[in-house]
Amino acid sequence: MLKILIPTLFLLPTTWLTSSKWLWPTALTQSMLIALASLTWLNNSTDVGWATLNSYIATDPLSTPLLVLSCWLLPLMILASQNHLSSEPVNRQRMYITLLTTLQLFLILAFGATEMIMFYVMFEATLIPTLLVITRWGNQTERLNAGTYFLFYTLAGSLPLLVALLMLQNNAGTLSLLILPYTKPLLLTPFGSNIWWAACMIAFLVKMPLYGMHLWLPKAHVEAPVAGSMVLAAVLLKLGGYGMMRLMVMLEPLSKEMVYPFIVLALWGVIMTGSICLRQTDLKSLIAYSSVSHMGLVAGGILIQTPWGFTGALILMIAHGLASSALFCLANTNYERTHSRTMLLARGLQIALPLMTTWWFIASLANLALPPLPNLMGELMILTSLFNWSAWTLVLTGAGTLITAAYSLYMFLMSQRGPLPQHMLALPPSYTREHLLMALHLIPLLLIILKPALLWGWFA
Amino acid sequence: MTPTHFTISSAFLLGLMGLAFHRTHLLSALLCLEAMMLALFIALSLWSLQLDATGYSTAPMLMLAFSACEASAGLALLVATARTHGTDHLQNLNLLQC
Amino acid sequence: MNPFVLSILLLSLGLGTTLTFASSHWLLAWMGLEISTLAIIPLMAQHHHPRAVEATTKYFITQAAAAALILFASTTNAWITGQWDINFNLHAFPASLLTMALALKMGLAPVHFWLPEVLQGLDLTTGLILSTWQKLAPFILMCQIMPVNSSLITFLGIASTLVGGWGGLNQTQLRKILAYSSIAHLGWMVLVMQFNQQLALLALVIYIPMTFSTFMIFKTNSSTTMNTLAASWAKTPALTAITPLVLLSLGGLPPLSGFMPKWMILQELTKQDIPLTASVAALSALFSLYFYLRISYAMTLTISPNNLNATTPWRLQTTSSTLPLAISTTISAMLLPLAPATLALLSP
Repeated sequence: MLKILIPTLFLLPTTWLTSSKWLWPTALTQSMLIALASLTWLNNSTDVGWATLNSYIATDPLSTPLLVLSCWLLPLMILASQNHLSSEPVNRQRMYITLLTTLQLFLILAFGATEMIMFYVMFEATLIPTLLVITRWGNQTERLNAGTYFLFYTLAGSLPLLVALLMLQNNAGTLSLLILPYTKPLLLTPFGSNIWWAACMIAFLVKMPLYGMHLWLPKAHVEAPVAGSMVLAAVLLKLGGYGMMRLMVMLEPLSKEMVYPFIVLALWGVIMTGSICLRQTDLKSLIAYSSVSHMGLVAGGILIQTPWGFTGALILMIAHGLASSALFCLANTNYERTHSRTMLLARGLQIALPLMTTWWFIASLANLALPPLPNLMGELMILTSLFNWSAWTLVLTGAGTLITAAYSLYMFLMSQRGPLPQHMLALPPSYTREHLLMALHLIPLLLIILKPALLWGWFA
Repeated sequence: MTPTHFTISSAFLLGLMGLAFHRTHLLSALLCLEAMMLALFIALSLWSLQLDATGYSTAPMLMLAFSACEASAGLALLVATARTHGTDHLQNLNLLQC
Repeated sequence: MNPFVLSILLLSLGLGTTLTFASSHWLLAWMGLEISTLAIIPLMAQHHHPRAVEATTKYFITQAAAAALILFASTTNAWITGQWDINFNLHAFPASLLTMALALKMGLAPVHFWLPEVLQGLDLTTGLILSTWQKLAPFILMCQIMPVNSSLITFLGIASTLVGGWGGLNQTQLRKILAYSSIAHLGWMVLVMQFNQQLALLALVIYIPMTFSTFMIFKTNSSTTMNTLAASWAKTPALTAITPLVLLSLGGLPPLSGFMPKWMILQELTKQDIPLTASVAALSALFSLYFYLRISYAMTLTISPNNLNATTPWRLQTTSSTLPLAISTTISAMLLPLAPATLALLSP
């Protein structure tokens, strides 16, 4: 674990001490080396599941894919931000990279934590760098509003979680993830235990986000600079799913009845946010709402707590992380050329940037879960387990899948096909940097399907 | 509660009530404070007299000395307020509200 | 001010607080409180300005009334029990009276109204003394009488955290915001005081460097409103970058050190089986966080193109040493990993 953590920590001196000319290449190289080194975590050969264990942090099959994903995202974020930061003073560029690095540090500690409170602290700690990135480097004035929404939704959800966790600690005497599944459940009054259950879950459901508590997400995504959107979509939302999977095992006897309203909301949200996507004019907002819709499926898969549900949720989280991050990068390439997020103003880009259209095509297909991609595998597993739970969910999930296909197609056609508008003159061509960025998103996504067992979590 | 104790307490509490509810002049507020202090002075001296605690007979004197300091600080502030605000009406001390 | 006079005043300020710390007799404790009140009054009124004089008058009246109430309560206690010792168990009625009097002296919620107005009238250095050093003596007295009347104390604590959050929401004046933040923080300390005094002390010990750095940051920028703060990026860029951390630490966001007391206090409250109180206190911290966040927005996270309505601040070389500020900002941002050591330092 320290093999990754210490080089990540040393990214900070790298950022501040290299000359301004070599700032971006060195930061990129070092973070890429860290990401490559983190791939070794995937080779988990222990019988108990827990590997690289020390007294505070460890990896297990559930956290490993998410850890690798968060390590993988940092070089991509650095690669993606290079252009829009090039006009800023060098100290602010360094500050930006510093914030991204701290974010990665906190994310590694959050996913690797073996103690619930440490997970909680790091879960909250990720808020500060993200908030600063959104509110300092966002473009419109609404970014302040978005930052406030982001901070206060998450905190209002998660402060009851802190109290609930402390109660659990007083009762069980420990919050270690290794021991907690074997402790006795918390004994409270029926009403109190329901409240306790809700306090444990709502923090993560807000972070996920569940439909009804999702209003912060489109705002934050739309206003954030590209790196902020990428890391939000790819990793920060997954903190919610990860936390739910970790806590679910301790909430056992209560969950059977308590999950109903949340599953209903999650599945209803799949349809509702999908429909919102269909009438969206703002490109980033569309991608953000599609994240909410996918996360609704993930929440449903986790809440019914079958092995297939968990596995499907983990696969979908990783696949969606790469696909939606790729979509945000593509939206950013449009934004950097047209300085607008409105889809009507940037149409027919196939003529102007033909190779980019290929990437748009693959990323849209990944978003709508085309067969060979892991997105499909995740969705199918969740759909199957939900169907097994209650046949009627197929109406909702089926309609949701259909709508997903519809809006992915809408997004692709809207931005790529048709005639190029008159006002778009002298677009800069796409850079190799951008192609590299897209390749680094989509090649892992395509490669994963050759060995999906890496993402199966506990049930591999 | 002995009658003495009751008298002293009510004297103090009357002073406190005056300070809290009769808010017209700064001077009257200071007088109320002084009344509270005098009630406390009597309470302290009567306590040491009743218990024949000679060791405590200096306590009222010390207290009186401190309350005199306090009263002089209060009067100094009265002068300062009169110079800056032009009056000693407590209603006029409203520069800091918002 | 003449340095001799200033040194005498500062020394008596120290003497008063120390006297209260050291005394086990109520009369002596009262004298200590009086000495420190009388010593700070000239400091507060040193600029002969209507606002300063008004603030001093208000401060004087509340403190004198609170001190008289303390002495009255202890005399009543002596009449009833025949005891002047602070550590001796108090009779219930004087104990409640003392609690209220000390709450008035510190500025806890139902009797907090003087604090924002007084702080608004002072310059930042005196304001810093008022909101840190002057809290110590009543705080220690409150710790010493503590095992009394828990519902009153819980009410004071919860009311202070709520009022401290609620009151600051509508403010643009930095000193008033800091006053409300001080009310909220004291509410947290009082809330846990009846269960575990080390934690209350820990909260105070963490609160002092955070407040110190906030006041010092405002003093370095010589700003008392949010508007002037918006021009600080041109004057002290590094400090501007660090300020959000200090402010969010004051708001208690993990992983900054302001989270440590909140965490420990919540843990103690759940241990005492009052999770509802804990949740209310935790959620009331969100109110405070909102105005800290607003200050950070105004100061760091937006860069205003001009100096707004404020006059352009002089960009002089700072002559005072910035070392204390550097140390205190570091403490107020990064102490959380040292939480076990800090706890061990404070436990008996």
